[in-house]
This record gives sequence, C-alpha cells and structure tokens, in this order.
Amino acid sequence: MKKFNRTYLMGIVWLAIAAVILWQTTILPEKFVSNEPGPKLFPYISAVGIAVCSILAMITEGPKETKEGSKAFMDKAGWMKIFLLLGECVLFALGMNWIGFWITSMVGMFVFIWTLKEKKKINIIFAILLSICLGSICYFGFTKVFSIPLPKGKLWKMLKIKMP
Amino acid sequence: MGSYLSALMMVLQPQNFIALFLCAIIGVILGAIPGLAGGMGITLILPLTFALDTDLSFCMLLGMYVGGVSGAFIASVLVGIPGSASAITTCYDGYPLTKKGKAAKALSIGITASFLGTFVSILVATFCSAPLANVALMLGPWEYFSLCFMAVSLVVGLGGRSIYRSLIGAFAGLFMATIGTDQITNQVRFTFGNYNLLGGISVISLLMGTFALQQVAMGYAKGQQEMPEVDAGSLGGFGLKLHDFTDNIKEIIMALLIGLGIGFLPGMGGGVANMIAYSQAKKSSKKPELFGTGHEAGVWVSEVSNNASVGGAIIPMIALGIPGDGTTVMLLSAMTIHGLQAGPMFIRTNPDLANLIFAAVLVAAVLVFVSELFTKRWFPLLLKAPYHYLYGAILMICFLGSFSSGTSMFGVYETIVFCLLGIVLLAFEIPVNCMMLSYILGQKLEYYFRLGCSYSYGSMAPFFTRPISCIFLLIGLYSLFAPVVKVLIKKVKAAN
Repeated sequence: MKKFNRTYLMGIVWLAIAAVILWQTTILPEKFVSNEPGPKLFPYISAVGIAVCSILAMITEGPKETKEGSKAFMDKAGWMKIFLLLGECVLFALGMNWIGFWITSMVGMFVFIWTLKEKKKINIIFAILLSICLGSICYFGFTKVFSIPLPKGKLWKMLKIKMP
Repeated sequence: MGSYLSALMMVLQPQNFIALFLCAIIGVILGAIPGLAGGMGITLILPLTFALDTDLSFCMLLGMYVGGVSGAFIASVLVGIPGSASAITTCYDGYPLTKKGKAAKALSIGITASFLGTFVSILVATFCSAPLANVALMLGPWEYFSLCFMAVSLVVGLGGRSIYRSLIGAFAGLFMATIGTDQITNQVRFTFGNYNLLGGISVISLLMGTFALQQVAMGYAKGQQEMPEVDAGSLGGFGLKLHDFTDNIKEIIMALLIGLGIGFLPGMGGGVANMIAYSQAKKSSKKPELFGTGHEAGVWVSEVSNNASVGGAIIPMIALGIPGDGTTVMLLSAMTIHGLQAGPMFIRTNPDLANLIFAAVLVAAVLVFVSELFTKRWFPLLLKAPYHYLYGAILMICFLGSFSSGTSMFGVYETIVFCLLGIVLLAFEIPVNCMMLSYILGQKLEYYFRLGCSYSYGSMAPFFTRPISCIFLLIGLYSLFAPVVKVLIKKVKAAN
C-alpha cells in the first residue's frame, strides 16, 4: 500500500490558500495614502509567507515522511465522531435561528450529553433536568438579568407565537 | 499607594469579592481536570462580562485565571496526569510523593507554592508595570512594530514540530487580522460583501471555535481517560512544617525569578516556565538523582515557577499591550471588548482599573490558597467530574457566547468554522497559539508598520536605525532563524 504523506497534503492545501489570498489581494481596489505601503502589503506578505513556508516544509520534511510514512492523526471512528459532533453543532446553530435559543439549548444540551456519554450509563432524568435547568438559567439570565438579547426563533415569529 | 488601596477596597466589595471567589473556585476545578484549564473558563465567561460592570468583569476573569493556573497541580500530584502544560514537571515528583503515601504533603507544597508564586509575582508586577509603561511611552510606531514582531517571532521560534509550520500559523493569523475594514484607508478587505465581517473576525468566535469547541471535539473523538482511584483518607492535615519551606528557599527564589522572566516574555507562560525552572533546579542541585523520585524541591520549583508566570505575564499586558501567555491573550480581548486599550497609556488613563487588576490577582491568590487548604480532602472528587455533562454544558455555553458577542447568528456559524480550522491546524501540526497571537497582534503590526513608514516619508530605515527598534528586530529575527541555522549546522557537521 502506498504510504500517505500528510506533509505534502498540508503543503498543497496551504499553497492553494496562499494562491486564493494572492488573487483576492490583487483584485482589491487601489486606495492608499501617500508615504505608506497601502492596504495590500500585509495580505501579500501573508500569502507569500504561507506559500514559501509550505514549499520549505514540503522540501525539508516531505521526503523523510515519504520514507517513514505519516502517523495517522485520527482513526476513522475518531473522524466519524468529530463529524457527528460538528453535525450536531450545525443543527444547534440552525435550531437557535429557527426555534430560538431557549428550546434549542435544552434539547441540544441533552443531545450533546447523550452523544458524549458514549457507552457509559447515565441517569436520563438527571440529564433532562440538567439540560432544562441550565438552558433556562442561561436564557433567562442573559435576556432578563443582563438584558443581552438571544434569538427567539424565526419560526415562532412566522407563526405569530410570542415566546418569553 | 492610595489608588492601589482604593482598588483593593473595590475588589473587597461584596459583589466583586463573591464573583472573584466563585470564579477562582471554578478556575481551580477546571484547572484540576486534565484537558480543561482556566483558559477555557475565561473563554466561557467572557461573553457574560459584556453586560457587566468592568470592575466586576475583571474580578471574574482574573479569579478564573489565578484559580486555573493554581488548580493544575492537583491531578499531577494525585494521579500523575497534568491538569495543564504548566504542571507537567509537578508530576515528576508530586505523583511519586503520593505513591510514597505523602499525598497530603505534596498537595500542601503545591498549594503553598502556587500561592507564593502568584502572590510575589503580582507584587513585582504592581511595582514594575508603571515604570515600564513610562519607558514605553517614549517609543514610536517603529519600536511598537518591532516589539510586536519580536513577540510573534518568539512564539513562532518556540513552535511545535517545525519552524515552517509555526510560520504558516503565524502568517495565517496575520492574514486573518487583515480581514475587515483597514484602519488607515478604510479600504474593505476580504469581506465578500458580508457586512458581518466589516469589523473583522470576531475574537470571541475564534477563541470559542479554535479553543473550546475544538478541545471538546478532540476530547470526544480520542476518548477520555478514566482517572485512577485516589485514597482520600490520606489527605487530611496540612502536612507541612516551616523547615520544609526554609530547606528549599534557594530553589524557590530561583523558580520565582525564572517564572517571572518567562512569564514576561510574550507567548511563553507557565508551560515553559515550569520546564526551565525544573531543569535548572535539577542541574544546580547537589543531589540531582533525587529529582523525579518524589523530591519535595521538584514540586516547589515547578509550582512556584508556573504561578510566578501569572505576574510576569500581566506586566507586558498592562504596560505594553502585549500578551504574556495564552490566557492573557483572552484578558487582552476582554479589555478590547470593554473599550479599553491596553498599552503604555493604560496605567495613566485607567489607573484605577490597572490597580484593580493587580489587587484582584492578589486577593484571588489568597482566596485560592485558603480554599484549597480547606478543601484538600475533596480534591479526588474533582478528577471524577463526568465529562459528558461538563462538555455538554461547555458546548451550549460556546454557542451562547459566540451569539452574544455580536448579537448575530454569524458569530455562531463562525465558531463552527473556526472549530474545523482548529482541527485542521492540529491535523497538520500547525500550532494554534502561533495563529492566535499573530491574529491578536496582526492589526497592531500592520498599523504601526504603515504608520512608521508614513512618519518617515515612506522610508523603512528607522525600523533599523532606531536602536530599541533594531534590538527588538534582531531578537525577533534570531528567534526565527536560530532553529533553521542550528539544523543546517548539524547537517553540515554530520556531512563532514
């Protein structure tokens, strides 16, 4: 089996990022005050720096890694777990937007606890109570005590239902 | 002195005092749990402070900071797993002491050493910050640019697997700092028409994503370690006598100085301080063979040095606006959120708040000391904290924080994107702290560089001809190129 080289992959990814930064910087409109290098200089420095370092990393570390092979950063199961958790995070964010923070925080926290417990046994009643209490404390603490607005949910607005 | 005493009284006001105490306790708990740290606590409570009074906010943040640094030794001593990088060397002697049945003594040393380190270092910071700020007031944009450059270079030089990877992180951070409206020409850069990006990337979302969310995701993906059982019955009593302190006084003083010095240097902090102090103590000891076998001096130096870095890190934060370690990056962000500009003018324009910061750390150190002494018996319970409940709550608070930082859903989406970025950086072994520091200092770097060029009619010569600026640049360049040159010299020697 061909050995996987993570350094080359890293170099290529960052070279691509550097190319995008360079291109985006080039199309920035010219606007500068006399005697100073202008707003394009630092983005250019960043892009060139990323590109040069990526190439140097590939040259200096790549061949060694080709010989020895790269240590796996994470096994397949680990990646699946990361994507599962991130998927839940995306759903949490969408939930915040559509059904509001209060309900999402309670449901979301329980789902997070359920996911993170893996094979451990938990007291479901305690987990539900904890999710309801913490979600409610955060929501009402922020909105009523600290007067920091949190999303109430677009759905309720559309259905003309008033949420606390 | 009068201003300091009034700041102290302010900290002792009931609401500030209670908030400081509670946050210090939470900090100790987070610090004690391997994988979490006080920095995580600061990230989580940062959004809560938006709506709070500045004094109360800083009492909470500093309580969390001091508690987090102090609490890291608990797991090191009891189970041989460091609570954070700042307590790695505490494991070397703390855990063997526990195995010898001296857990009570090891914990008492840890508690006392943590207190000593923080207490003395913050006193030094209190007296040194103002003179340093006065010196800094004499500097121009050339020196500030070089200082920021040196700060980033020092962190890059320390970097992870290789200097190139650290540099990629630093350049990525620098690019991220350019997103938004340019400070000098008002040119809008890389926003792709999104008005949420006009003010740049949200620091809170970046912290929540690359720090908190990423840590939870990685912890879950890799699986949590089960903590071994600890015999709580052996933890009673103070277990420490005066001679335990006096016998190690030389090592303690040296560790204190190392901790202060390392803490002062940008980006280093307790993680590096405890390593250097420990190896120095071992080298200078008459019985170096005892280190690593349960030698009390090992615990003293490790804990004094990492806690001394707290005061050391606060000096450049207050006097120069440069963060001394990862956690002070967050404190600096908190200052910005509260409309404060850390730097040489800070002590002059906000003397009360500057003194409040020093006083809050001092009071937090005392509170942590007393509470740790009285609750020592229950320390093993901290290590049994159920991760699923803790992480579940952290995730929820992350979203709460990222939304409230800009009162927009955009911050929440940014947090998820930055979590992915954090995981990608980790996978490619690119140090996140290089990116973070470069992002925090990136705007200053660009602003001072362009301002310097503008003041000198487009010439870059003053960056090299002004002596202080030149010294900072040389130090920065040395820390960048020294690792590369060393590797080349090794290769040449090997070839010969």
